[in-house]
Amino acid sequence: MLSLRIAWRFLRSSPVQSGLIVGGIAVGIAVQVFVGSLITSLQASLVDQTIGSAPQITIRAEKDGDPVVFSQRVQDVIAEQPRIVKRTVVPVRNATALFTDGTDSAPLNLIGGDLRQLDGIYRLTTRTEEGAASLRSTEIMVGTDFAKKFSITPGDTISLALQGGSRASFTVSGIFDLGSAAFNERQAFVAASVPQNVLGWSSTEYSSVQMQLDEPFASAEVAAAMRAKLPGVRVSEWQAENADLLVALQSQGSSSYIIQTFVLVAIALGIASTLAIAAVQKTRQIGILKAMGLSDGDAGRIFLWQAIIMGGAGSAAGVGLAYFLLFGFSFSGASFTIEPRLPFVLGSAAVGIGVALASSIIPTRRTSRLDPIEVIQSG
Amino acid sequence: MAELLLSAEGLDKVYGTGEAATHAMRGVSFEVAEGEFAAIIGQSGSGKSTLLNMLGLLDTPTAGRVVYRGTDTATLDKRKRAELRNELIGFVFQFHYLLPEFTVFENVAMPALIAGTTAPSEIRARAFETLAMLDLDGVEDKNANQLSGGQKQRVAIARALMNRPAIVLADEPTGNLDTVNTNLVYDLFRKINKETGTAFMIVTHDRNVAQRTDRILEISDGQLVQDVRSA
Ligand SMILES: Nc1ncnc2c1ncn2[C@@H]1O[C@H](COP(=O)(O)OP(=O)(O)OP(=O)(O)O)[C@@H](O)[C@H]1O
Ligand SMILES: [Mg+2]
Repeated sequence: MLSLRIAWRFLRSSPVQSGLIVGGIAVGIAVQVFVGSLITSLQASLVDQTIGSAPQITIRAEKDGDPVVFSQRVQDVIAEQPRIVKRTVVPVRNATALFTDGTDSAPLNLIGGDLRQLDGIYRLTTRTEEGAASLRSTEIMVGTDFAKKFSITPGDTISLALQGGSRASFTVSGIFDLGSAAFNERQAFVAASVPQNVLGWSSTEYSSVQMQLDEPFASAEVAAAMRAKLPGVRVSEWQAENADLLVALQSQGSSSYIIQTFVLVAIALGIASTLAIAAVQKTRQIGILKAMGLSDGDAGRIFLWQAIIMGGAGSAAGVGLAYFLLFGFSFSGASFTIEPRLPFVLGSAAVGIGVALASSIIPTRRTSRLDPIEVIQSG
Repeated sequence: MAELLLSAEGLDKVYGTGEAATHAMRGVSFEVAEGEFAAIIGQSGSGKSTLLNMLGLLDTPTAGRVVYRGTDTATLDKRKRAELRNELIGFVFQFHYLLPEFTVFENVAMPALIAGTTAPSEIRARAFETLAMLDLDGVEDKNANQLSGGQKQRVAIARALMNRPAIVLADEPTGNLDTVNTNLVYDLFRKINKETGTAFMIVTHDRNVAQRTDRILEISDGQLVQDVRSA
């Protein structure tokens, strides 16, 4: 390990140069880890906000307003799809209603379904802010924004004008917050039988069958497979309805890759030029070491070791700096938290070391090829 | 008669090709026995360094061969020649070539570290012994940069002797030193030659210095024109 020892001494003999390079790698890797984690978490958060508590695949009748039959056939096709999370499959019935409070009135979309099944997608039980999650036949759950607007508290009785002209009274069992003000203000959950009565449908007829996937981005593929097996119904999926979001995510992703690539290129150029200069500066030493019998391989390894040492130290410091930045970011008040994924962090560090190694190729080759006579003759 | 250490057989050296070619060495042959103490003299540009570098396996002759203890070095690959240099040959140049990144002790120990076959304790003992031989006790932990010119050259000599070589090849080793230091270095060479049986080939401009050796080889225009032994 003489080459390692020499490498270490050479590095220590020019601490400023070595320190700058290690610092450069550290900043580069920190930016890499921070930006990469930021974009990934931001995207995950955006996707989760958009579809985390929403149906990702929906089966409806061809014609708006018509019921879709939740037949054995439909259930079988759903069961066949391994990506569909079975506990999220929920048949729902929708009806519109109008709430009147003195002179004020507000429309409400009633989502009728079984609470346990609704929980699979909407996670109502865990998102009940006040009262309790319960949807017995005359109970209703409204959103926080609606409740606040009309000063409604759990236990209150509210009267609604239902679609088709009838009126009905409901007891507010719980008040939910699903994270979206629009949803919290407009949507309300009731028992499945409420819209069923309004619409006059049979017990197998529903407005839609909703479900989520274990991999949301597989929705197009899964929907296509289901369409092929279910003629006569409409199978829609979230990606087709959120094309803008997807384009935004994609361009965000690719700009993040571009940033990361340029950062790596900058690191590589930095190390390569510094090592090249170092190799030239140490020509005399390498020459005399070779005259004393140091092998070409050992001589070459000196700069390989330097790259490993600086790449390793720089990457480690960079990961530390990245976690520091992420810690700082957690106080920024952003609506999401950055969860650095360990494989990505370790991968970035490995890439840092790899880039350092690649940058050492030229000085390593130069050093290994140096003929001691060149040094001896030039004095 | 001492054993044969090395023989130079018909050494030719041509630098460059075509119009620009310099014929720096022509058909030089001689033998060196173990433990000899010889000087190489000649005018500037006569080819002394060229010869010494070929003997030191740093440069390869265009024709002819250098044989060490029966081994034709032309048959060896780069790696083997580097090993042979490490084992058999100690170099002292006009410039000391000490490594400023290392201490005096480490500089001296370097040839043994390169060989990689000696135990650290043994390396330590031998390096200290060598430093003592050159009156360098007490400077071992200093940086090579912190020494005087004469001290630096003596450290370089200690380094050349570290692996107990069969021969020390010295190219104008006192070229940068004053008379006092020059005499000191030659006295040391002589002492080490006597005590350890190491052969010396010393390139020098100085006839007075050459007179104090046992044998003088004179090079002129790339040829060996005189090879005399004193009684
Ligand atoms: N690398 C080289 N390329 C071309 N010519 C060279 C080279 N090295 C030496 N020469 C030429 O070879 C001849 C011998 O050079 P050498 O260095 O051996 O002389 P020298 O006797 O050591 O001289 P000095 O006493 O000045 O050191 C000179 O004419 C020199 O110009
Ligand atoms: Mg010379």
